[in-house]
Amino acid sequence: MDALSVTGAGIAMVTAAGHRGVVCATDSLSSTIEELQLTLGEGPCVDAAASGAPVLVPDLADATDVATERWPTFLESAASAGVKAVFALPLRVGAISVGVIDLYRDTPGDLSAAELPAALMAADAAALALLYLDVDGEGAFSDDHTARSSYQMQVHQATGMVMAQVGVTIDQAFLLLRARAFADGRPLAELATDVVARRVRFSVEDE
Amino acid sequence: MTDLGPGENVGTGVSSREQALADIFVRLADTMVDDYDVVDLLDQLVHACVNVLGVSAAGLLLDDQKGNLALVASSSDEARLLELFQLQNNEGPCLDCVRSGSAVTSGDLDEDRERWPLFVPAATLAGFRSVAAVPLRLRDQIIGGLNLFMDSARKVPAADRRLAQALADVASIGILQQRSLHRSHLLSEQLQNALTSRIAIEQAKGVLAERGELTMDAAFDVLRRYARDHNLRLTEVANAVVTAGLDVLPE
Repeated sequence: MDALSVTGAGIAMVTAAGHRGVVCATDSLSSTIEELQLTLGEGPCVDAAASGAPVLVPDLADATDVATERWPTFLESAASAGVKAVFALPLRVGAISVGVIDLYRDTPGDLSAAELPAALMAADAAALALLYLDVDGEGAFSDDHTARSSYQMQVHQATGMVMAQVGVTIDQAFLLLRARAFADGRPLAELATDVVARRVRFSVEDE
Repeated sequence: MTDLGPGENVGTGVSSREQALADIFVRLADTMVDDYDVVDLLDQLVHACVNVLGVSAAGLLLDDQKGNLALVASSSDEARLLELFQLQNNEGPCLDCVRSGSAVTSGDLDEDRERWPLFVPAATLAGFRSVAAVPLRLRDQIIGGLNLFMDSARKVPAADRRLAQALADVASIGILQQRSLHRSHLLSEQLQNALTSRIAIEQAKGVLAERGELTMDAAFDVLRRYARDHNLRLTEVANAVVTAGLDVLPE
């Protein structure tokens, strides 16, 4: 988070079942703000989780920002805690939603042209890391390929196909696909192409 | 949202092309008043390009704000693969267009083999002989590119290029949503939203392709038809298919 010149950061997990909890926070203030949003059910984190899009609020005191009208209680608490700007980035892979990362600042202002890409990439990495945590708690294999492969639409199409083939949830299907690619020692995009072309099938017995 | 295909040519003195164009802009204006799905809008725009500009295929790339471009809409598989080819090889007219911020055209790809040594053979193999690319602009920012592929060697007439630019501008506005223009950071939110939506739609296509034994294109049609029939946004339907087990396949 140092690279982003933010004051603090927190990650909240929001599962498909609606369970919510703070996964980690860099300091007690971040932790408090995260808990507060989840308890109140309002704030940038909650909106980012619901919409799937980032909610970037460079100045919480800016009354003309349409976003802030929705969070009366959160704004009060944030102001008294000295938080001036919040950037909430959803941790998502398409319809797979794992949570939200919130970045806080004690000074108002936009993320810079260099900070935004860094923040978005950190969110991508966090999303993939959380998908592991959810299943076995171990980052057993390198995820460089996964991050790069997510630009390839057949990876996502294949994930949907595996979900229907095995009868699991979308995040489990994504994990099965990545695990098979790892086990077979081949790039995820290549395996995905085979799944989409119906040359490779996943079955309940295999998994 | 209604389809942006060629309109019915009922007028006598109006060319079918002018009629189709008028239809498109009227429908776009209608669409953008309501809550709309940005990927759906962009997808219809690339199909509109094919219909009114008489090109073979069209594709649309957006800046993912992490240093890459991402494909968000394409009118055909060939266009999709060719866009991805450019992204993977970091070479081609669409990339040049986005980098320079101005239109890039090649009326005969044969003559531009040196300029794009990897792209030209790939494009030729896909059956394309000429290309044109116009940028998606937002004030001083370039947020992507609209690319047109043609199966004959021909220069896109200036009037058509302006029209393509007009459609690209509509796409830019569609991404940003007019009513929120004052929020400087909204662009980032909307771009990310479009890219996430695209991925969710691909996941849903996979589910439907498997369940209904459909091609990916047919799966997309099913998804879109369901959204239209039930007056829902495409992304909402895609998310429901993937996470809530919504059954959208026809009986």
